[in-house]
Amino acid sequence: MAEALIRVEHLYKSFGDTDVLKDINLTLNRNEVTAIIGPSGTGKSTLLRCLDYLTVPTRGKVTIENDTVDAESYTKADVAALRKHSAMVFQSYNLFKNKTALGNVMEPLVTVQRMPKAQAEERALKYLDVVGMTERKDFYPSKLSGGQQQRVGIARALAVEPNVLLLDEPTSALDPQLVGEVLATIRKLADMGMTMVLVTHEIHFAHDVADRIIFMDRGVVAADGTPAEVIDGRGNERLNEFLSFVNH
Amino acid sequence: MFKFDYFLYCIPQIAARLDVTLELTFVSAALALLIGVLVAMIATYKVKVLYPITRVYVSFMRGTPVVAQLYFFYFGMAVYSTAIRDMTPMVAVSIVMSLNVGAFMSESIRGALLSVDEGQREAAASLGMTNAQTFWRIVVPQAVRVALPPLFNDVINLIKMSSLSFMIGVPDIMGAAKILGANSFRYFEIYAAVMLVYWIVILAFSALSKWLQRRCEQMY
Repeated sequence: MAEALIRVEHLYKSFGDTDVLKDINLTLNRNEVTAIIGPSGTGKSTLLRCLDYLTVPTRGKVTIENDTVDAESYTKADVAALRKHSAMVFQSYNLFKNKTALGNVMEPLVTVQRMPKAQAEERALKYLDVVGMTERKDFYPSKLSGGQQQRVGIARALAVEPNVLLLDEPTSALDPQLVGEVLATIRKLADMGMTMVLVTHEIHFAHDVADRIIFMDRGVVAADGTPAEVIDGRGNERLNEFLSFVNH
Repeated sequence: MFKFDYFLYCIPQIAARLDVTLELTFVSAALALLIGVLVAMIATYKVKVLYPITRVYVSFMRGTPVVAQLYFFYFGMAVYSTAIRDMTPMVAVSIVMSLNVGAFMSESIRGALLSVDEGQREAAASLGMTNAQTFWRIVVPQAVRVALPPLFNDVINLIKMSSLSFMIGVPDIMGAAKILGANSFRYFEIYAAVMLVYWIVILAFSALSKWLQRRCEQMY
């Protein structure tokens, strides 16, 4: 039985004269993996970033669990409450350069959740193990490969035990031979039942792992359904054009 | 001709006044660093009202010669301020040098704060960290490392700048040289000794700076 976790209502975002998101309405379910695909510059990342207010929408509401933030009237506390439910994995990893892998994962546990150090370390080690980075826990980001950094980024996001993991093109900055290890990690999380929203260009991967595919085009949701419906169904001309480009 | 034994005689006479030079340097460096941090934070967070004021301050301090600033403060403003008239030259020089070097330091610090990429700030925000937590735990430790070399340059400028203090009567190294000169007229040896003393002090500072930088680089 699908249970709604995230609700997006009448979401708009403009950068100056450019309308990036135009009236987005979505409900995303718990324990589902949703992949957002589409051509560059169609608002995929912007939509994802609006879910934890790294980008502030122009209008509309975002709800996760029971916390709603309305773009036209919100407080810092509203944003903080919304962010508690999610954690972001970034295209360029964004690890804290002055902290080791372990230090990166522990940081939000110690500062935000006020966990005692020993307990934070225990939890951090648990999630470094999930992403297979236990052996390199004492390495600084500058001494890790892109794929390793991204896996630490995933562990850091997982360790705050969010209701949903937001992944913003997590493999786009990686060398081709490093993409596999990160995708394998994401697949593992999907198998564990982690709720994820994933912006990606890896169409094959999205097809395999996602429960639902959202195809965005020019700031609107142009197709929405199971991978079979969206990718194999090819009901949409723009979608067909996009899929032919990504060499499906 | 260059009298080497007189030159050697001058060195300890001049070096004896190093205490004045170093005191001026340390007091002014500490004050300048405080000003620099405050101004850099105002610039980084674009604090209302204060931001345009600090921009004018930085532009003015960088755009006018320090000798003019010193004379303007100690002789010019003294006309209207009893506080400045009652000030010892040492205090007046410290104030002017702090204000001057503070402007340069603020730019060094501002650049260092900006060098910490936006992505790390976003990651911290997404994880629920407050701006203050992000600033003190993520931004500052990384910015310190970037700021150290330019800040050391600013301190080296400060050491040299302190030689101007004799112009308003502080008995520093330059003062000692003047007194020696009045007795012997051997300016060539005397000012060669002055420069050697400054040079050695600055080489020591440079060595300290390099050592600190290496320590920082080994950290991560």
